[in-house]
Amino acid sequence: MAVVHTKCQVEAREPAFGVLFFPSAASPPKRFYKKTSLLSGGGGCEVVLDHRKLKTPKGTSFVVRSEPLAIAVATEFDAQKEHIERSRMHLSALCFTAIDNPNHLSKLDMVNYLLNFMATDTVLFQYDDETDLQDLQVNEWDPVIAWFNQRFQTNLQKTMNITPPQVSEEDKMRVAKHFQSYSLETLHGFIFAVDTLKSIILACAVIEQMLTVEKAVTLARLEEEYQLKFWGRVEWAHDLSQQELQSRLAAAVLFVHLNCSENFVKQKSIL
Amino acid sequence: MSGTKVLRSLLHELRQAAPNGCIKDSLAARYVLAQYKKFATTEQQFCKARNEATFLGQTYLTYLSSQRKYLEIYKEYHGRGERSVRDTADLVGFKLPSDPK
Repeated sequence: MAVVHTKCQVEAREPAFGVLFFPSAASPPKRFYKKTSLLSGGGGCEVVLDHRKLKTPKGTSFVVRSEPLAIAVATEFDAQKEHIERSRMHLSALCFTAIDNPNHLSKLDMVNYLLNFMATDTVLFQYDDETDLQDLQVNEWDPVIAWFNQRFQTNLQKTMNITPPQVSEEDKMRVAKHFQSYSLETLHGFIFAVDTLKSIILACAVIEQMLTVEKAVTLARLEEEYQLKFWGRVEWAHDLSQQELQSRLAAAVLFVHLNCSENFVKQKSIL
Repeated sequence: MSGTKVLRSLLHELRQAAPNGCIKDSLAARYVLAQYKKFATTEQQFCKARNEATFLGQTYLTYLSSQRKYLEIYKEYHGRGERSVRDTADLVGFKLPSDPK
């Protein structure tokens, strides 16, 4: 991939016509570009496919502020073989969704969605009939709940039956305040992570770097893994779902981190 | 995973993801190597920035390897669809109306 850097300069060249992705019902579109490269301008970084600028499905220009994110998207496009498998390019999909906002979600909508999810968090629903499973849940899930309670000063309690756990209004306020501090784009990534893991507690733990991605996916599928030990592992179902969840979660975590971190490099002066 | 292991695995994955198997021009490979050099030297024992960079590196590694493995499993087990008309005709020894006599 060639690199074209024009930092802090207004583009002199004519932006070539963008590429629109028409949703096709038949086979996915063929790969029509040979090289991907990056263009850094004043507003952010753009991805260039063979001298055509990348555009989102709505037609707007694809610009991200974070350079590593643009590099990752360009790598993703480069990694496509003959066809562009859009359903498997999670990072690009997240970026497009964040830029386009096709459902016109506001920050309030997203925070409310996350708060309503708390009452149905996977990790809080535990089962005490089978002792082995109960031990596993206590050993693996309880520390994460304790960490979450300590980090956000909440008091989430697990439940042992089908009644949902009680989430007090103060807990909701505290968690809402935390989510409000993220930008709109970052919240898209957050929601993606929560939907993948079906748990806010695990999503927060992995985004705060308390768990690795593989570990978080294992915890989310704890009961499934437990049953696998008795009934056997089916590669085309269990492995497939595990790899898919891992790739989705990893994309979400990367997206959140690259969107909200700014690089501060303090050089020590050797004087 | 330690930093060097993550780096080696990352470069391996990027090599597999590249279209011609060569990562010399790969933007991502260059960026990863630059990041590693940047966070290599630190005099602090617990360097948060380096841990965060290693975490990001490992997350990206998980992303690339999970995608690749997903694709492998999918290719192996996913149905190939119906046979085309030509294949069916060849199977039973028929000729298609479009074939020359």
